[in-house]
Amino acid sequence: MADDISTENTEVVLDEAELEIDDAVKKKLGVGFWIAIVWLVLVVGLAFLAPVLPIDGQNDVAAGGRLESPSMDHFFGTDAAGRDVFARTIWGARVSLSVGFIAILSGLFVGGPLGIIAGFFRGKVDAVISFIFLSLLSFPSLVLALLIVNSLDRSLKIVALVLGILAVAPIGRLARANTIVFAEREFVQASRVIGAKNGRIMVRELLPNVLIPMSALALLGMAVAIVAEGGLAFLGLSVKEGATWGKMILEGADPRTLRTGTHVSMSPIMVLFLTVLALNYAGDRVRSYFDVRETAF
Amino acid sequence: MAEPLLTVRDLSVRFPTTRGVVQAVNGVEFDLEEGQTIGIVGESGSGKSVTAKTLMNLLPRSAEIEGEVTFDGRDVREIAAKGEDHFWGVQMTMVFQDPMTSLNPVKRCGEQIAETLRYHLGHDKKKAISESIDLLERVGIPEPAKRERQYPHELSGGLRQRVVIAMALACQPRLLIADEPTTAVDVTVQKLLLDLLDDLRKERQMSMILITHDLGVARGRCDEVAVMYAGRIVERADSHTLFSDSRHPYTDALLRSIPRIEQPSHTRLDPIPGRPPELINPPVRCAYAPRCRFAQRNCLEEIPDVSGVVGMHSFACHYPANTERGEAALQSNLDRGETAGGLHLHAVAEGAS
Amino acid sequence: MRYILQRIGQLVMVLLAVTAITFASVNVLGDPLTNILGPLASVDCTDVEAGLVEDISTRGGTSQGDCEVIALTRAEFNLDDPLPQRYVTWLGDIATGDFGTSFQNQLPVSTVIKNKLPVTLRLVGMGLFLSIMISIPWALLSAYRANRAFDNVSTVVSFGLLAVPNFAMGVILFYFFAVRWQIFPTRYDPSNAYSQIKSLVLPALTLALPLAATYQRLLRTDLITTLQEDFVHMARAKGLPSRTIMVRHALRPSMFSVLTVFGINTGALLGGTLVIEQIFSVPGMGGEIVTAIVRDDTPVVLGIVVIIVTAFVVVNLLVDLMYSILDPRVRRG
Repeated sequence: MADDISTENTEVVLDEAELEIDDAVKKKLGVGFWIAIVWLVLVVGLAFLAPVLPIDGQNDVAAGGRLESPSMDHFFGTDAAGRDVFARTIWGARVSLSVGFIAILSGLFVGGPLGIIAGFFRGKVDAVISFIFLSLLSFPSLVLALLIVNSLDRSLKIVALVLGILAVAPIGRLARANTIVFAEREFVQASRVIGAKNGRIMVRELLPNVLIPMSALALLGMAVAIVAEGGLAFLGLSVKEGATWGKMILEGADPRTLRTGTHVSMSPIMVLFLTVLALNYAGDRVRSYFDVRETAF
Repeated sequence: MAEPLLTVRDLSVRFPTTRGVVQAVNGVEFDLEEGQTIGIVGESGSGKSVTAKTLMNLLPRSAEIEGEVTFDGRDVREIAAKGEDHFWGVQMTMVFQDPMTSLNPVKRCGEQIAETLRYHLGHDKKKAISESIDLLERVGIPEPAKRERQYPHELSGGLRQRVVIAMALACQPRLLIADEPTTAVDVTVQKLLLDLLDDLRKERQMSMILITHDLGVARGRCDEVAVMYAGRIVERADSHTLFSDSRHPYTDALLRSIPRIEQPSHTRLDPIPGRPPELINPPVRCAYAPRCRFAQRNCLEEIPDVSGVVGMHSFACHYPANTERGEAALQSNLDRGETAGGLHLHAVAEGAS
Repeated sequence: MRYILQRIGQLVMVLLAVTAITFASVNVLGDPLTNILGPLASVDCTDVEAGLVEDISTRGGTSQGDCEVIALTRAEFNLDDPLPQRYVTWLGDIATGDFGTSFQNQLPVSTVIKNKLPVTLRLVGMGLFLSIMISIPWALLSAYRANRAFDNVSTVVSFGLLAVPNFAMGVILFYFFAVRWQIFPTRYDPSNAYSQIKSLVLPALTLALPLAATYQRLLRTDLITTLQEDFVHMARAKGLPSRTIMVRHALRPSMFSVLTVFGINTGALLGGTLVIEQIFSVPGMGGEIVTAIVRDDTPVVLGIVVIIVTAFVVVNLLVDLMYSILDPRVRRG
C-alpha cells in the first residue's frame, strides 16, 4: 500500500502557484436537488389531494383482511385493523406535513425577527434575546413539548405551535449571526448614513439577505419538526385525531405486528425517511449554493 | 567523479483541474552531488515548490508525475509507491516556509523532535527527549531543556524555525530540501538562520536544495543555481557564473531587480513588467517572451531548447543576454520602442541605462 | 480562568431560567391539588364555610372532601404561597437535596430518581461510547483517502443515517435484532448485570448511529482541512507512518467542531432517550417523566428536569475544559 495521505484537492497546492481556480462547478444545485424537490412535490401533492384521490378513507376497513402483504389492491398492504396502509400514509402525510410546515413557519415568524433585532442592535437587547435562545436550546426540547401538549390539548394546531417554539432558538441564532455579518456590509452602512430608520433598514436591507440562509435552515427544520411529531407519537402525545406517520409507525412497532406484518411500520418509515432525506438534501444544497456557513440545528 | 546523490531527469508534473490541466513542472533536470547545495530560484508559481514536493512525495494523488528521480542510485518514485519505511526523514527531509504552521500546535516542541528519533532510530522516550534537547541546543536555542517542554505558540518565529530545523536534522538526513526557509521570519533573523543551515550542512556533509524567490539568498550559499520560470528551468549554472555571466533574460532581470551592496544607494531597481504566465494550456512559445526585453518574433512561435549539458552552464533562450546575438536583439527592440511580444520599452530602457 | 467562571455564571443562569419556566408552567397549567386529592379537591371551601354548600364530611363522607384536609394539604405543599416564593422555597429544598415527594405514590422524588437514573445514564453512556467508537475510526478512514470509493460510500451512508428518525431506527433495529433474528431481548431484562447490558445494546445503538453519522461528517471535514496543514506535510517529511500522522498529529487539532456539537447535542440526546426507552421498554427516566407529565406529578417532573438541565450544564462545562486540554493555545487565554 502506498504510504500516502490524500489531500482533498489540487487547489491547495495550486494556491501556492497563485492560480485562480474557478469554483463555478461547485455552484450548482445539482440533479439530486431536483430529484429531492420532485419527491417533496409528489408527497405534498398527494397529501393535498387526498380527499379527491381514489383511496380509502383513513379509518375504512378494507375488504380482504388484516395484516395483508402489499399487493396491487393494497400497495403497502393492510394494518392490524385491516385498513389500507397506503391510503393511511397519504392521510398521515396531511397531518405530518402540516405540523412540520406550521411549526417551521411559526419558528420563522418569531425567531427571525428576534434574531434580526438582536443582531442589529447588539448590546443589552442582544444579551437578553441571546439568553432566551440559549435557555430554549438547553431545555430538553421533547420535555418542553410534552409539558405544553399535555396541559393544553392535542390538536394539530397546538402540537405544531409547540414544535414551532422549539424551532425559534436555532432559527433566531442563525438570523442573528447573519444580521451581524450583513450589518457591517457597505450597503447597510450606506443606508445608515443616508439616515434610513432602523426599522426600514431591518426590513428592506437585512431581511432579504437573512432570508436566504433561513430558508435553507427552514427546509432542515421542517424535517426536524416532522421527526419530532413522530417522537411525540411514540410517547402517546401526538395529534389526537387521524393518522400521522409517527402514530402509524408506533402501531406497526408492536412485536407481534412486526413479526407478521413488517410492512405496517416499514412503509411509513420508508416514506418518512425519503421525505426527511429529501428535505435534508435540498436544505444542504441550498446552503452550500448560497455558501451559508453557520448551522444551528 | 562519483555518482551524484540526486539526479532529476525530465521531471514533469501536471494537475487536472476544473479549468484544464495545469502544467506546473515541465522537463526539469538537475544533479546534486553529495555535500553540495543547489539553489532553485523563481517567482511564486514557477514550479519550484511543486518540484520540492514531488521529490518529497507530498503531492496530492491527483498529480500526474512523469520523469525520473534517483536518490543514491535508487528510484525515489518506486520507494514512494512501495511506502518504504525510514527513507523520508532519514535519507531526505524538508523544511517548510512558515514555522508558524509547520509545527503541530497541540504538541510540545521536544515531543515533535523526539517522535522522529523514536520512530526511525528506535530510541526509548527518555533517550529521545534528551537527544532532542541536545539538538535544540545545537541549533542555537537558549534554555533548550525549558523549550523542549513548551508548545510552539510560546516561541518566537525565529526560534520556531530553529525547532523545525532541529526536527528535520534529527536523523542526520543526507539531503535537506529547504523551501523558502526564511521567507516568513523577520529580516533580522533571516541571515542568522541561513548561516545556521550553512554551518549544519558543512558539519554534517549534507546536501541541500535551497528554494527561494530571492536570488540574494542563493548568492554565496549555493554551489549551483537553477532559475525556474513557468515550470521550466530556464538557466542553470554554477553560482559564480550565474551571478557574473547570466544568459537568460529572466535571470538578467531578476539580478537587476535585487539590491546589491556594491551599487550606489538610490540606484533604481528594475521590477519585471507583467505577470507570471498562465499554466493552463499555455501557447507554444517561450513562456517569458511577453515580459522579455529581448523577445523577437520566433520567441513567440517556438519554445527554445535547453543548450548545454547537465553540470555545465545551460539555458533556454533564442537571444541570450550578454551575447552578441542577444544584445543585437535588445538593441533592435529598443530602437522600435517595443518587443515582438508587445512590451513597451521606454521606461524600462531608461531605468537600465 | 476568567472565561470559565463567566461560562459557569452563564450556565447557572440558564439552569435557573429553565427550572423557573418549568416550575411556572407545571403550576399554572395544571392544578397540583387536584392531582393530590382527586376530583373532590375542587370543593369550594369558602362556599362550604358560608353554608352555601353542604359540608359532606359531617355526613360521614370521605375525608378527601374535607375542607380541613384541603387546607392541610395546601399548607403541606405550600400551595397558598405566591408562585415566586414557592419557586424559591423549592429551589432551597433542591439545594439541600430535598426534591420533594411524588404526588403519585408518596415516594421521595430523590428515591424515584435514584431508581431510574442509573439505567438512563448507562444507556446514554453506552450510546455516546458507541458513537465515538464508530465515528472516529470512520472519519479517519474517510479523510485518509478523501473523495475516493470508501469516502464516497461513507458520505451516502452517513447522509442516509441522518435522515432516519431515532424512533424509526429503533423500530428497524428492534425488528431485525430482537424480533427476527432474536439476538437481543424484546424487553428489558433486569435479572443480572450481563442481561442488563445486553438489553441496552440495541437502544444504545439506536442512539449512537445518527450521532456517529453527525460526528463522522464534522470530523471528516475538519480532518481534511487539517491534513492540508504544513505540520502534516512536515510530519510526512519526517518520515512518520500514515497511521501515526492521522492519529497523533491530525486527529487532535480536528476535534473542535465535534466537541462543540457534542455539547449542544446533549439536550437533544436526553430527549431522544425518552423515545428510545419507550420503544425498548427500558425502565429509565424517560418512561418516568412521561408518566409524571401525563399524571401531573409536578415534583417528579421538576426533579427530572433539574437533573437533565444540570447534566446539560455540566457537559457543556466539561466541553469548555476539553478545549483547553485539546489545544494548549486556549490555556493561556
